[in-house]
Amino acid sequence: MAGLNGDPFLGIDDNIEKLQYNNNSKEVIDKEGLVVGIGEDSSNNKNNNQGGEKDMAGNSIHRSGSRPQLDLSKAEIQGNSEERDPTILLPNQTDDISHLALDIGGSLIKLVYFSRHEDQSVDDKRKKTVKERLGISNGNRRNFPILGGRLHFVKFETSKLNECLDFISSKQLHRGRIDSHHWNSEAPANENAVIKATGGGAYKFADLFKERLGVSIDKEDEMDCLVAGANFLLKAIRHEAFTHMEGHKEFVQIDHNDLFPYLLVNIGSGVSIIKVDGDGKFQRVSGTNVGGGTYWGLGRLLTKCNSFDELLELSQRGDNRTIDMLVGDIYGGMDYSKIGLSASTIASSFGKAISDKKELQDYRPEDISLSLLRMISYNIGQISYLNALRFGLKRIFFGGFFIRGHAYTMDTISFAVHFWSKGEAQAMFLRHEGFLGAVGAFMSYQKHGLDDLMVHHLVERFPMGAPYTGGKIHGPPLGDLNEKISWMEKFVLKGTEITAPVPMAPPGTTGLGGFEVPSSRGATLRSDASALNVGVLHLVPTLEVFPLLADPKMYEPNTIDLSDHKELEYWFTVLSEHLPDLVDKAVASEGGTDDAKRRGDAFARAFSAHLARLMEEPAAYGKLGLANLLELREECLREFQFLDAYRSIKQRENEASLAVLPDLLLELDHMDEETRLLTLIEGVLAANIFDWGSRACVDLYHKGTIIEIYRMSRNKMQRPWRVDDFDLFKERMLGSEGKKPRPHKRALLFVDNSGADIVLGMLPLARELLRCGTEVVLVANSLPALNDVTAMELPDIVAEAAKHCDILRRAAEAGGLLVDAMNNNTLDGSRGNSSSVPLMVVENGCGSPCIDLRQVSSELAAAAKHADLVILEGMGRALHTNFNARFKCEALKI
Amino acid sequence: MAPATSNSLHRSGSRPQLDLSKAAIQGNSEERDPTILLPNQSDDISHFALDIGALKTSKSYFSGSLIKLVYFSRHEGQSIDDKRKRTVKEISNGSRRSYPILGGRLHFVKFETSKLNECLDFISSKQLHNGRIDSHYWNSESPNKENAVIKATGGGAYKFADLFKERLGVSIDKEDEMDCLVAGANFLLKAIRHEAFTHMEGHKEFVQIDHNDLFPYLLVNVGSGVSMIKVDGDGKFQRVSGTNVGGGTYWGLGRLLTKCNSFDELLELSQRGDNRTIDMLVGDIYGGMDYSKIGLSASTIASSFGKAISDKKELEDHRPEDISLSLLRMISYNIGQISYLNALRFGLKRIFFGGFFIRGHAYTMDTISFAVHFWSQGQAQAMFLRHEGFLGALGAFMSYEKLGLDDLMVHQLVERFPMGAPYTGGKIHGPPLGNLNEKISWMEKFVLKGTEITAPVPMAPPGTTGLGGFEVPSSKGGTLRSDASALMLVFSILYPLWRCSRY
Repeated sequence: MAGLNGDPFLGIDDNIEKLQYNNNSKEVIDKEGLVVGIGEDSSNNKNNNQGGEKDMAGNSIHRSGSRPQLDLSKAEIQGNSEERDPTILLPNQTDDISHLALDIGGSLIKLVYFSRHEDQSVDDKRKKTVKERLGISNGNRRNFPILGGRLHFVKFETSKLNECLDFISSKQLHRGRIDSHHWNSEAPANENAVIKATGGGAYKFADLFKERLGVSIDKEDEMDCLVAGANFLLKAIRHEAFTHMEGHKEFVQIDHNDLFPYLLVNIGSGVSIIKVDGDGKFQRVSGTNVGGGTYWGLGRLLTKCNSFDELLELSQRGDNRTIDMLVGDIYGGMDYSKIGLSASTIASSFGKAISDKKELQDYRPEDISLSLLRMISYNIGQISYLNALRFGLKRIFFGGFFIRGHAYTMDTISFAVHFWSKGEAQAMFLRHEGFLGAVGAFMSYQKHGLDDLMVHHLVERFPMGAPYTGGKIHGPPLGDLNEKISWMEKFVLKGTEITAPVPMAPPGTTGLGGFEVPSSRGATLRSDASALNVGVLHLVPTLEVFPLLADPKMYEPNTIDLSDHKELEYWFTVLSEHLPDLVDKAVASEGGTDDAKRRGDAFARAFSAHLARLMEEPAAYGKLGLANLLELREECLREFQFLDAYRSIKQRENEASLAVLPDLLLELDHMDEETRLLTLIEGVLAANIFDWGSRACVDLYHKGTIIEIYRMSRNKMQRPWRVDDFDLFKERMLGSEGKKPRPHKRALLFVDNSGADIVLGMLPLARELLRCGTEVVLVANSLPALNDVTAMELPDIVAEAAKHCDILRRAAEAGGLLVDAMNNNTLDGSRGNSSSVPLMVVENGCGSPCIDLRQVSSELAAAAKHADLVILEGMGRALHTNFNARFKCEALKI
Repeated sequence: MAPATSNSLHRSGSRPQLDLSKAAIQGNSEERDPTILLPNQSDDISHFALDIGALKTSKSYFSGSLIKLVYFSRHEGQSIDDKRKRTVKEISNGSRRSYPILGGRLHFVKFETSKLNECLDFISSKQLHNGRIDSHYWNSESPNKENAVIKATGGGAYKFADLFKERLGVSIDKEDEMDCLVAGANFLLKAIRHEAFTHMEGHKEFVQIDHNDLFPYLLVNVGSGVSMIKVDGDGKFQRVSGTNVGGGTYWGLGRLLTKCNSFDELLELSQRGDNRTIDMLVGDIYGGMDYSKIGLSASTIASSFGKAISDKKELEDHRPEDISLSLLRMISYNIGQISYLNALRFGLKRIFFGGFFIRGHAYTMDTISFAVHFWSQGQAQAMFLRHEGFLGALGAFMSYEKLGLDDLMVHQLVERFPMGAPYTGGKIHGPPLGNLNEKISWMEKFVLKGTEITAPVPMAPPGTTGLGGFEVPSSKGGTLRSDASALMLVFSILYPLWRCSRY
């Protein structure tokens, strides 16, 4: 579908003219109850909880069987914390309660810390209404014992332990713990403070931590932590694992019910090979003393490199043929094919170095580094495979600091596994490879409830420092937004290439910031471009899987796969070109002040850096779909405190559209049913097309009134459309041969833009459904994204529209949307009015032009329970994502 | 038992035996006591095979690689009781199988590849290239050099073919390396009673292997690289694995790190090393505590060279001895582990380690044994072969048609250790000694002090027996060999069947 390449802002002649109606035949509808019963989210949770507890009870190692959850009575402190927009995280402000865990290795200190963060507190009234309306209460649904917040991944060099201590100290991380005893105490009792830590250094540096931070270190078993960390990451992060063959990364989605058993190979200084059978159930089955320490130790002796990364970088330019004896060297260039060895196979690592004529200094350090790297990686791959074979394991996950996202290392290990297994086994790598131990130590805290986190509770975000760092902190943390902006300003943009001065005060802000010292050559930011970045994990316990997805396991939101480089390039260009315009709007939305301009510039730089990084390595932030890219932009805006760049534009469009709505409704009411239905659908398509972001529409906008443009566009919507299931839809709505169809009980309308789109497109359609006796739930974004209408804005729009229409008014009243507007009607009174089916508004839980139905708000999930019709509207929600989505109920994609 | 016919690889199924009519030439040879072998006297008819583990770059041969030579000197048994023998033969010819195997001696010799010329001189001086057990030329006084063919294996067999043609006028017939290795190992394990031994904590124990229960076994050949071969029978084998971390890695890395001039020097250094200064031990990580939960003691190496990452020490700050030992342990341990994992995979209990990396070096063998023992929790055993370096050469030798060696049984072989044996591991250094007189002179240079022999550096060491020759004694002069526990001699004498069966 070439049409999918279409410019999102210029959709008029493109395939937006489509209507996909997915009527899942009666059989499916009849079975709905059954299907829901099986796949229902809350029952899933329950099952998993039980399973989890069973696993824990069966834990053969030391962790206790039951883990009490935080109870809600402790939540009062949340009220004390500053309420902020959750997407803007400023250090020492939102990090009100946090705790941390450490993995202190021989060369790196890995730190995982949690910053608790209250969910949005805006729009409380609407939420309350929705909750009551939808019957969401703590009684009948699972409650959320997990605190919302963020999990940060940070690393320091062990030799710079002081920087790490400063960091912890500056963030007051050692003070806060989710520990009920100290929960409410104003001045934490430092003497009793305990930090969980693992790794060899946990033993060595215990005294130093006591002395400097006044905290005791509670040593957790390294292997326990490793496994707990890997299990958590593999279960909680959707695309944590990936394969790496010949430079190509492919993310693997692992069904967490089918995760065990697997082989975990942790490559630190040495290598541990662990067979994992379940949570806390594992056995170290093998290992090797030839590991990362060997590479770095031998490498240092042989090359005089000053850092591990320098050594790795050298290998990028090496040619191991000058040092390794190849099969071809022995057999005069011939393959020794009889036993399956090609001429380029290494027969003997360093086998050529036995020559009398050449001394150490006669060899290029690059070649030595590469030879060493291949020797060790290959060996690890081989031993790992042999152990996997021994236990019949198909999956081998490699982690540990030796890998460091280094492409060649991963390729070599993958090659070895592939070679020796003849393709039967696969080497996989973890995005959070260095953090397994630290995550595991973190998991060992009692009462954080993280064990119960599901994949849909987590959202990974990449703050501004992400493109420059793999989570390594270097230097003091940045204190506030101003420092962040200053830091950003030090960068000079040259086309897509960013050259950076060595930052003296990199951002520790988000727990991700900080730099590795850029290489002296300065050409690239990272010594190995293929290394993956680690973002901040946002724990949003209220997120759920959209219950109406037919097959959540197979569901893939993105229609467009950006691993296709041409596709990526196209979107890169689109986003880059749109950037100046967006910055203008954003700056204007904040009053065009100097401060806003500064922030706007910093945003542009930060987002360009993200784009550049992703062009360099599309897999840098995990599996990249268009939805992720568009959300990244919104998040980046929010990071620089542009809360709603389109605020004033949206307002203007809404007002203009609302002004002409009565005319439109009048026109519609004079049509017969069939014409009206077609006109309504055409209207939705037309209204969505003249998206105010689209330049083609800007001209139109200047020339005529909204209703003229709307009618003009609508008239252009000549059937048949690119995908045209209108007849099917019509039959379902109007029935055939005089048979009046059963109306839908509840319809979920996923709305898109502000202005004409919502007012002249979706509201009339909603009205028609209401007229048929169908409950309508308008599903809108939780947070602003472009000019998309938000759940916060909708009640006002509906209230305004209701002034001109009885149907809408009664429905809105019934849905509790007019509490503010209609002073006389109490909530109870409106509920007592049974004359109309309700019109409601729920938030979808996201802040992106696209929607990932695996992670939606709990109120949407609740609203979906009784819904039998889903209508997805707009480019972002129905085309760029979810075009291929299948639902348990009937669905319409416009 | 017809092992040759089941050979799945290239060797021909049937191998005609030498017939007795050719035995007339035996009468021409000098009769000597078989335990004293003088060069160019008893070596009247011989042939040989080579394993040239060698590489040549544009400028130099790599040192450390070796040429292994196995040659056969035909030798009539004692003629003293010729009459009785004849009588016995007459009796037995009818009722017993005939004896197609020529009596004689099998010599095992090695040269450094970098000293290829000495090897060529040696071959030339012994006229080895002129004699072959080949019926067509058996009786010809001046052998037809143009058609002379020598069996050889190893990488060098491909590289040095032209040189052999030029210098000795012989063609090299390249035998497959793996075939030779397996054939050599099978022969040795079947024909020599205590060929295999275990080596744990410095203690050697010879293992007698019932040759009916030999197969399958895992043969690990540790040369520059390592090949792991599952052997199911004569000529039936499969290379199941291998690793590129082998002897070449030890020597290559060792040279770069220590400036040693020879493989043996590097090995010797390791004897005095302490790897704890370089390797990161489990105890280093856990503050001296055992990480016993997973069965690791504090002295277990957690990371080879893991301590070398310290900012404080440069290469020159580390003792070469320590580096050598750390390297040795790393590589031996790794080979042991991968070998065990492969043995496990195929359910093999016996793993034989051979190849030049081992060199009878006690620590190497201990480390490999330890690794196999550790990972198998005592279920599998590492075994070593006394003729470890000669598997390929012997296999190449076995590939000559009509040799009849395949049928040799354990009781038909006697091993003797001539005078050079105590001083050498079979390595030739310098020109061969010509006759008994030279041998005596050479011997006279030594002064016996009790049981300890202190020797001047011999300028003309004995190549005499095909075994002689010295490594340069260590400068400390205390012992002749840096590794006193090395097996002294690699030398076999093939006896005609009747001798053993009669006496």
